[in-house]
Amino acid sequence: MSGEAFNPNPVVFAPTKSARSLPHGFRLNSLWLDDDENRDEELDDSNEAEVIDQDEIFELIRSISDPEHRNMTLEQLAVVSAPQISFDPRNSDRLTVEFTPTVPHCGMSTFIGLSIRVRLLRSLPHRYKVDIRVKPGSHQSEHALNKQLNDKERVAAALENPALLEVLEQCLSTVGRNADPSAE
Amino acid sequence: MESLQRVVRTWIASEQEEEVDTAVSEIGSGNATLLDVVKALGEYLTSEEDELRTKGVEFLSLVIGKCPPEKLSRQSVRVLVSFYCGKLEDTETIIPALKGLVSLTCMPAFASTDAIEVMNGLVKHVRMKALVQSQRFMVYKIIDTLMAKHRDALKSMGKDFLSGYISLAEGEKDPRNLLLAFAIDRILLLEFDISAYIEDLFNITFCYFPITFRPPPDDPYGITTDDLKNALSACLNATPLFGPVAIPLFLEKLTAGTPVTKRDTLKGLDSCLPVYGASVARTHARKLWNSLKLEIFQPTDSTTEQAALHTTQVLIRTIYSTQTGEEQANDDIQGLAKDACEECIQILREPEKSQAKPAIKVMCAFMATTPSVARFTLSQVTPHLVKLFLNPDELPNRAPTLRLLADVISAARDSMPNDPETLPAEEDIPLAPYKDEVLGVLTVGLTAGSSAQPALDGLKALVTTRALLADDELGFVVHKVNELLQDGQEENEDISDSALDLLTTISASAPCHVAETTLPLLFSSLPDRAPPRDAQAARLKYWRTLASLTKLCTQPDLFETLVVRLLTKLDLVCVPPNVEDGDMEPGAAYAHSLLRTVVDVLRTKVESGHADVIKYVDRLVPRLYNLFIYSTLMSNGTYMVATDPRLVSVAAQVITLVVQMLSAQRQETFVGALFAAYIQGDVKQLAEGHRKIPSDKKFDPFDVDVSPLQKNLLSLFAAAIVALHKEVALPVPDEAAFLDMLLHWTVTVADNALQKDAAVHTISSILNKRTDWLSTFLTDKLDVFWTNQIASDAQPSEKRRQAISTWTWITKALLVRGDPRAADHVDRLFQLFGNDEISWDAARAVGGVVATDKILTKKNHAVVKFLYAQKYCSSVLPRIIDGAKSSEDADPKQQNAYLVALTSIIKSVPKTVYAHQMPTLMPLLLRGLDLPDFEIRASVIDTLLATAEGSSSSKTKENNIVAEHASSLVSTMLKNSMVRDMPSVRVRTSALRFLAVLPDVVRYDVLHPQKAVVIREIGKVLDDPKKTVRKEAVEARTNWFKFSG
Repeated sequence: MSGEAFNPNPVVFAPTKSARSLPHGFRLNSLWLDDDENRDEELDDSNEAEVIDQDEIFELIRSISDPEHRNMTLEQLAVVSAPQISFDPRNSDRLTVEFTPTVPHCGMSTFIGLSIRVRLLRSLPHRYKVDIRVKPGSHQSEHALNKQLNDKERVAAALENPALLEVLEQCLSTVGRNADPSAE
Repeated sequence: MESLQRVVRTWIASEQEEEVDTAVSEIGSGNATLLDVVKALGEYLTSEEDELRTKGVEFLSLVIGKCPPEKLSRQSVRVLVSFYCGKLEDTETIIPALKGLVSLTCMPAFASTDAIEVMNGLVKHVRMKALVQSQRFMVYKIIDTLMAKHRDALKSMGKDFLSGYISLAEGEKDPRNLLLAFAIDRILLLEFDISAYIEDLFNITFCYFPITFRPPPDDPYGITTDDLKNALSACLNATPLFGPVAIPLFLEKLTAGTPVTKRDTLKGLDSCLPVYGASVARTHARKLWNSLKLEIFQPTDSTTEQAALHTTQVLIRTIYSTQTGEEQANDDIQGLAKDACEECIQILREPEKSQAKPAIKVMCAFMATTPSVARFTLSQVTPHLVKLFLNPDELPNRAPTLRLLADVISAARDSMPNDPETLPAEEDIPLAPYKDEVLGVLTVGLTAGSSAQPALDGLKALVTTRALLADDELGFVVHKVNELLQDGQEENEDISDSALDLLTTISASAPCHVAETTLPLLFSSLPDRAPPRDAQAARLKYWRTLASLTKLCTQPDLFETLVVRLLTKLDLVCVPPNVEDGDMEPGAAYAHSLLRTVVDVLRTKVESGHADVIKYVDRLVPRLYNLFIYSTLMSNGTYMVATDPRLVSVAAQVITLVVQMLSAQRQETFVGALFAAYIQGDVKQLAEGHRKIPSDKKFDPFDVDVSPLQKNLLSLFAAAIVALHKEVALPVPDEAAFLDMLLHWTVTVADNALQKDAAVHTISSILNKRTDWLSTFLTDKLDVFWTNQIASDAQPSEKRRQAISTWTWITKALLVRGDPRAADHVDRLFQLFGNDEISWDAARAVGGVVATDKILTKKNHAVVKFLYAQKYCSSVLPRIIDGAKSSEDADPKQQNAYLVALTSIIKSVPKTVYAHQMPTLMPLLLRGLDLPDFEIRASVIDTLLATAEGSSSSKTKENNIVAEHASSLVSTMLKNSMVRDMPSVRVRTSALRFLAVLPDVVRYDVLHPQKAVVIREIGKVLDDPKKTVRKEAVEARTNWFKFSG
């Protein structure tokens, strides 16, 4: 990063627990503790649909690296959080992801929004329509930012820029199974 | 003489090695001398013709190279040295002359005066830039030899030598030569008077820093980057005189370099700073710290950050370790440590900010430097953090403050000398002066949800600091943690885990606190009766309590309490005081959970080899038999909780775990009681306990007409038998007859899987351990069994399937002990491959016999032969491969059976066993992926995954195989990952996992044509109904997006 940092010393937050799962062996709706032996059969049970929820979306974006502080995730800087993800009650394929820049003059906000956009483009089924916006009142040029982030053409144009794409891939390189945000 | 001249002439013409050998052997046998050779060469050595002169000297050098050293007299060496030095002048002869000198310098007759002459000759005549690598190498070789053998002579040359050598070594570029040059440089720096040449020597060494050499692929010289780095580093840290010149250059490299250069520089500083010494370090301290700080506070990556922290420690140690004892005792620290601490404290005024973390890392690093710096740092940081915590304005920042404090406590703990023999004295515990206030803020921190986690971490570090906390303080900590556990924090998995971990840590040294306060608390929260079916919350609560007990109660005293309390509970649940009607299943499930707790703790204890497990053969095992036999006998009519087969299974695990640990002798008595009960119906000895076994009902589980509930208890019989030592004989008149009875029982009497498994495990375990006494059983009875139960078409196929499973266990018993009779058993299985009904079952059994299991294990004292799986595979794999790929006219059904056998065997054995066969196996496995069986497909994919993953680290042959089949693998895996085509979640998950690792394993150019398709197709899988599948799809798709050339 060239020039002065926008926020050289941001506040760090403790990450929340990754999944609200039950401990090993516990099963809801069952009287019995799970014996390890019949675990495999369980898995194949049925293809009953499990819908994509807030947590699943959050799981996708929480470990994106902050462009200014590469060794920290968006979650640790509280730029994204699960409650800031909402589904349209009338249309479950529409969702809004809100994020909060650490400082109102943060010049990296567009880039953060773009990285969230790309991550979701790659990880969500096509039918989803995602709105990405900054938290109201958290950025000085909020309106322009929102417009830019939800303009298909401008997003596509940004992705044509090889230099930008490279930084983007770096910020996205921390997402996924092998990148546990709580691991030091 | 004549003959030598002929030899020389022939050589000049032909340059054959044998001429050299002839000359050497002439000299060796004493028929000629070296001088004769020189004479014979006469005209050539002085020839006007350049080529002849070169050849002449060349021949002489070759002969010297092979000549036995004792044949070179002092006189001839002297002559040859002057001769060669003369020849160095001549551009046509310099190369063979160098070759001759390489050999000459090694000769015993080579004297110090010669060394000086040679060195002078080299300096005067050799122009390194005009020579190629191998020739320069000879120059270094000569100097290296002189350095080894005539160092004092070189030293006596003084400046002439140093300046001469420097001019020779300047500008060298080849790694092979540099390795020698660096070795010479180091000796110069260490031993020679170099004060006048510091700068020159620095220039011919530091100019190579940092080493950027990368060996070419298949480098024949085998020189690695590390070889050069180490050799160079040995030069740079050879003399303190380099200090003032080197540090500014190091700093320059650190600021400007790539991450690799940064790390090399930091490593260089680590090795050099201690040599350069305190005063140089002090002079440059500020600048060094400023650069290091940048690497720590704005790290490029975590490795560099760690390296920078380490260098900071080296710097601090270098500066402060020279202090005298008096200065050490006096804690007034001046200079860098003080300044840096103050800077960090300044940053730590905002503990919640990101910079606080590197600041605390620096301070923690200081604690592992010198005792005085450590004391000083601790005296700065601890009161600061405590004050911050107690400041009401900083209330929201308590969690990050405690996180930092926890790091400090750990660092203080780790800085203590780690001698397990002696207990540290109070003045050696750095944290001792701050103990009270630290303990105070940590326990306050426990009470708030957000700061509980760091407080627990801090407390753990505190209690693991040796000799720090007194017993009553430990009691206080336990008390506080108990409060936390009661506080409703049990919902928060992380916190309750850490809390239990802390209690476990404390109970390892001081179990009484946990036993007296924590356990009663947990036990009292366990209900006496199972919550009803719809009370899910209550059930989760007792599960959580039991999970906590599982973690806590491995320590012997605590386990004893656990067993007593849980047995009482179990009794109460299984035989309730008031007979109740209605839903009994919750009770059974509760009892099952109680027993599971005992099993889980026992297993941990067995794994850690706790000796106290043994005594539970008297305290726990009879009580279980008592309860189960009693319930079974009483259950006529009414449902008894303890007759539930799931409960029987888990009780069986308890019994196995305890019996495993007994000596053979103790097992013998136990088996006596066991057989008395199961065969004679005399349960007195085996089943001592609270319940009075009714005398009017007979316990006779082997009886044909007995209730299924009694037959289920065979499981508790088998549980003990499988854990016996092989010396323990069964108390029956004829073991073979007993086994035959059991075999018969499995076929005709047993009526569920629990019973069959019990009988078959018993047979298998006895067969494995007592083979020598069972030959009649093996030859006659089993043959009959095969013929009647498996080979005969008269049996219904379900029966035959079960018999095959019995056969598998019998074969396994022989196979693991390396008994040759196993081969015949497996052979029979192959014969069934053409069968319409059971060919696949037989095929699966071929793999099943070598699969690992929980019965025939070392822990159960089974006779297991080393590498039995490898031997088995090398004998059957070729046959299977043959059968699977045989020609078109082969029966496709048979081929499929072979494929099934292949997949089954590969699932059962470690990868190393078949890895070398992968090229042959790959096409077969791909065909296995078309078999209409999800189980098989999933295991094939897992095998392929293991192959791919294993090869991702080492670019070996195996991944060539994956690459070779890449396109068909990709399309098969894509097909297997679509919910439309593949209903099994497990197969879809495995297929996606495979797709996810492919980019790591196969070169981009191979997979490039697939990229677009894969990304598009996995895009569809993102909409899979199952969450777990979607997760894998995202992972796989991400990897393919990242994948580029």
